Amino acid sequence: MNVALSRRGAWVLRSFFALVVIFLYAPIAILVLFSFNDSQLPSFPLSGFTLHWYHQFLVNADLRSALETSAVVAAISSVGAVLLGVLASIALVRRRFRLKSPVSALLLSPLVIPYVVFGISLLLFFHAAGIPRSVLTVVIGHIVISLPYTILVLMPRLQQIDVSLEEAAYDLGASRLRAFRSVTLPLLLPAVVSAYLIAFTTSFDEYAVASFVVGTRSTFPIFLYSALRFPNQLPQVIAVAVVVISVSLVVVIGAEVGRRVAERRLG
Amino acid sequence: MGRGQGVLSSPEAQARRRRLRLDFTTPVLLGLPLAWLAVFFLVPIAIVGLYSVGRLSLDPGPHAVTLTAWHEFLHSPIYLKLFWKSVKMSLVVSVVVVALAYPLAYYLALSGTKRKYVLLLLLIAPFLTSYLLRVLAWKVILGNQGVINSFLFSTGLRSPDHPISQLLYSRFAVMLVLGYIWLPFVALPIFVTLESLDRRLFEAATDLGASRWQTFRRVTLPLSLPGVMAAFLFVFIPTLGEFVTPSLVGGASGYMYGNQIVDLFGTGFPDWQTGSVLALFLLGVVALLTIVFSRFLQTREVTAG
Repeated sequence: MNVALSRRGAWVLRSFFALVVIFLYAPIAILVLFSFNDSQLPSFPLSGFTLHWYHQFLVNADLRSALETSAVVAAISSVGAVLLGVLASIALVRRRFRLKSPVSALLLSPLVIPYVVFGISLLLFFHAAGIPRSVLTVVIGHIVISLPYTILVLMPRLQQIDVSLEEAAYDLGASRLRAFRSVTLPLLLPAVVSAYLIAFTTSFDEYAVASFVVGTRSTFPIFLYSALRFPNQLPQVIAVAVVVISVSLVVVIGAEVGRRVAERRLG
Repeated sequence: MGRGQGVLSSPEAQARRRRLRLDFTTPVLLGLPLAWLAVFFLVPIAIVGLYSVGRLSLDPGPHAVTLTAWHEFLHSPIYLKLFWKSVKMSLVVSVVVVALAYPLAYYLALSGTKRKYVLLLLLIAPFLTSYLLRVLAWKVILGNQGVINSFLFSTGLRSPDHPISQLLYSRFAVMLVLGYIWLPFVALPIFVTLESLDRRLFEAATDLGASRWQTFRRVTLPLSLPGVMAAFLFVFIPTLGEFVTPSLVGGASGYMYGNQIVDLFGTGFPDWQTGSVLALFLLGVVALLTIVFSRFLQTREVTAG
């Protein structure tokens, strides 16, 4: 007998769960539906099937360039965030030092700062330092906000890896760097990949901070935001939305499944 | 080779080599991350502080420190009222979303379903897709010519001349969309807490004659409160400073404190000093919340571990 739930209670909760899942996916399903609808306005009644919007988005140069910019920003900033995240996680998990709790609080604090405040801080900072806004300034901001996510992914995995493996490497004459490269890193790799993907998607989707520090080259969210204000672009944007949501769902689920499989194999 | 050995064998050269060798000592590990955050996180916030007291300004030239902007802010009914409105909106969103997420997490953690991780992923997946695109979906649904209204027109329940116009560009729209965006995510911390509870506690309560409802009220719910608190903060903190969703679906009545900050830095009538004050005030409130409640979050880790 389940002491937490009666059979009727479980039925009620299961139905509620199903309703919430419908609520969560219905808006996405509606986007998919209207992305194939042959009408300038996304409204009922449906007026026929078309691939026109998908075609339009393929030939829209602004949109393609925004997607490229975002891909570049996300690729670079997530490498930076993962690199800093790996260093910080090793220190937090494997080393003893004074002021550990304020240091870890600082490393995680970008999680809670309101993005509007951080965006403005960076804007004023770059203004005061005379650094022009560009793709680079977006990368800098995104490294800051992705860093705590990578630490949160890397630390638990690092805690699971047996320290005695590294100690064995030291006993065999390896330096700490060598021990890390040959022993810890291969075991940490699945978490590094997840951290990279999380940092990548965080950056790729980030609008708030980017909106303050972006230069003349729009990132994809910046492009989307401005497109959302012009109704005539709506159908194309919906088509893009469907593509992006599908890709990110596949990546997310693929990453999760991959991590599970890899961690099971590595133990 | 002989020369190399000669260099390496001298004691000071060995010491130098030891110093130059890149090894993972604690300063090497922490140096880069901390330097990055110092330069691109702490210094920028300090610069906002300098702007807020007029030490730095859009106008060139040296400036004296003045607290007038702070004084005006603390005595201005407009800004504080707007802040209070945002607090209320975020509170409603967070409470509703946590109340909806609790039964979901409870079902996943305690119903004994075999597919709980698949279902959890199903629940969380929308959170991992684009934020703006989920807002877009609601714009399409709620607009005057949108899905709901056009559906009502085509079924004849509502005449096209009188759409339900409060759906979009309202406080309601902002709260609905924010709730929609955060709901998948908040189930997670509650799920983790419920999942880590010792099942023997429920059995003990049952053995002592408690009904399921009593077990829930006297055992499960109190023990899961830290997770509920964490979930609440995970929604409340980001929605308090929200400006993207209100600017897209809020209109005038959904205007929030975050929008005010953005507008003070906008191209219309920029007032960086007042804007900096508003930004720092928000940051102060969020920091205070985080510090006060981090104690609760940490005790949870201690008791769970």
